[in-house]
Amino acid sequence: MAGTRTEKIWRFVLAGPLVLLATLIIMAGSSLWLPEGQAQVNNFVIPVVLLPAIWAVLFFYSVLDRLGRASVVIFILTAVHAALIAQHLLQAQQ
Amino acid sequence: MLKLQQKTTQTMLALHGWGAVIFGLLLYWVILTGTIAVFADDINDWASPLPAAITETFPLGTDAMLRKAAADVAPEYLDELIVFATAGGRIRAFFHTHAEAEDGEHPEEKGVLFVFDPESGDILQRFEGTQSEIEAQSHYGKLGHFLVEWHVQLHVPSPWGLMLTGILGLSLLVACVSGFAMHRHLIKDAFLRRRRGGDVLSHKDAHVMASTWNLPFAFILAFTGSFYSLAGAFAIPAIAMVAFGGDQEKLIETVQGLPPAEDPRPAEMANIDTMLEDVRAAGHRTRFLTVDHWGRQDARISVFPWQAEGELLPKGYAFDAQTGENLGEKPALGQSPSLGSDLVALMGPLHFGNFAGWLSKTVWFALGFAGAYVCISGLTLWVKRREQQKTWQYLLRATLWSAWGLPLALVAAAAAYLLQQAGVLAGAVEPLMFKAFGLCLALSGILAGIVRRVTGVRRILVISLGLGLCALVALRLLLGGPGWVSAATGGLTAVVVLDVALLLGGAWLLRREWRKTLALPEEPLIDTGDMEVNTP
Repeated sequence: MAGTRTEKIWRFVLAGPLVLLATLIIMAGSSLWLPEGQAQVNNFVIPVVLLPAIWAVLFFYSVLDRLGRASVVIFILTAVHAALIAQHLLQAQQ
Repeated sequence: MLKLQQKTTQTMLALHGWGAVIFGLLLYWVILTGTIAVFADDINDWASPLPAAITETFPLGTDAMLRKAAADVAPEYLDELIVFATAGGRIRAFFHTHAEAEDGEHPEEKGVLFVFDPESGDILQRFEGTQSEIEAQSHYGKLGHFLVEWHVQLHVPSPWGLMLTGILGLSLLVACVSGFAMHRHLIKDAFLRRRRGGDVLSHKDAHVMASTWNLPFAFILAFTGSFYSLAGAFAIPAIAMVAFGGDQEKLIETVQGLPPAEDPRPAEMANIDTMLEDVRAAGHRTRFLTVDHWGRQDARISVFPWQAEGELLPKGYAFDAQTGENLGEKPALGQSPSLGSDLVALMGPLHFGNFAGWLSKTVWFALGFAGAYVCISGLTLWVKRREQQKTWQYLLRATLWSAWGLPLALVAAAAAYLLQQAGVLAGAVEPLMFKAFGLCLALSGILAGIVRRVTGVRRILVISLGLGLCALVALRLLLGGPGWVSAATGGLTAVVVLDVALLLGGAWLLRREWRKTLALPEEPLIDTGDMEVNTP
């Protein structure tokens, strides 16, 4: 995790609070594209069960990959899921 | 053997070490209390046994007990009923409804709690009020509950406590993955134990060997534990908000099914004993049962048994409340079997180790204990590597304080429970347990801070714990608990087994310290860490 002081601080922020926030958004957003299954529960139960795995993958990726690439990939994943959530909630309001 | 780039290995080492330094002590608290809480039900049976073991958890006559209680509560409390066994096999039935709490911000359960003697059917206790008022008065099962609350949320109010333990679970996950990645020789590490006195290498071997064997189990516990904590703290509310647009009723309907149409007309309830017999005939032992709308046309009854021999996943049965007809098995979630429901159901047995009775619980206890050892040995190894830096000696003292002070404080809490139960201490049991726990922890903390030599801190705390474990058995007997002969003849297995375990544990600690005192020190006793890492 070598780098300048700024890079170290950004890596810490990315791997800590931002990855936790990204995990929450990706988990919640996944419930909108995962198949429901016959019992209509798979889409929202499986993301909750896999929450620790989602976090672990994002966390290790954020500390092991190049800082710039890791930031972009995590940002895109989060933004896509956040957009899905926003679209769903807006549709529900109409 | 994993081949990692040097930079990756350094990152993993930093994550493993600093993660342990930041979270290690709290993680030890959660792991140790969770390890002991594997036997929470048995500890409750040990602390508050009936004169003889019960033949069935919910014997013939349960129906009559519930009918007698139902006739003795206000009609609104017949809205919901949950019945389960508590200390010694007593039956606990809570008739309740959901009322608005005093703060007006959240609903709170309000009703009447009955505690029955399962053999005679007599009502032993009756408490009325909100759930928090009832819990403040009730006694049975509180010792196990005290332990479980430390493990689940460190007695920090929800959702903060759950978030904290969830983050600790994630930190354990990081320790497992980074520890695994750093193992250069996984098979060799599992057996390598170089005894070279108190040097860093032999300490490292002890830590690596214990953690290698414990790795799969620690991973499972970290995953399932963080799932339980984080799901309750924010994952379920968040997903309910997104997937159901905040419509809680829709979420409940999807998970539990559409409730029958409201029909408040009175109706005779079918015999619950027959339903329990039906579950028994299928090879199951009932764990708990629920009744919605007791005595109404729209009543619903569900029975949830323990897993039968050879079963991993728990299940539930639905019954027609008027005819008593078995409507079949209920999935854990949803109205038909699903992968999601099975995954959720799998989390319980994997985390609690309750799928094969005493055998699986003993294995879970042993592996949990190894996990607690790995926490302490890892922290001590960290300090050992920085022996010349005085600042880190505070961490060593804090580690010793946690390692021995926490179990000592738990013994003090158990003693407070026994004294309150016998009427020696007056007042509600939970505050008394907290006072005893806090006082003991504070005293051991002061001791850990002021005793000059680190070795001295360890010796005093270990001897105190050894004596405390033995004294707990003596206290139980002195306060009128069943003797060993009557416990053995009465089939009170938990009393006999836990008494023996406490005495053996106490004797082993005292013998260990006695031998250490007799042996010549392997290295000069200096102010800095002369602690035996391989036997924390």
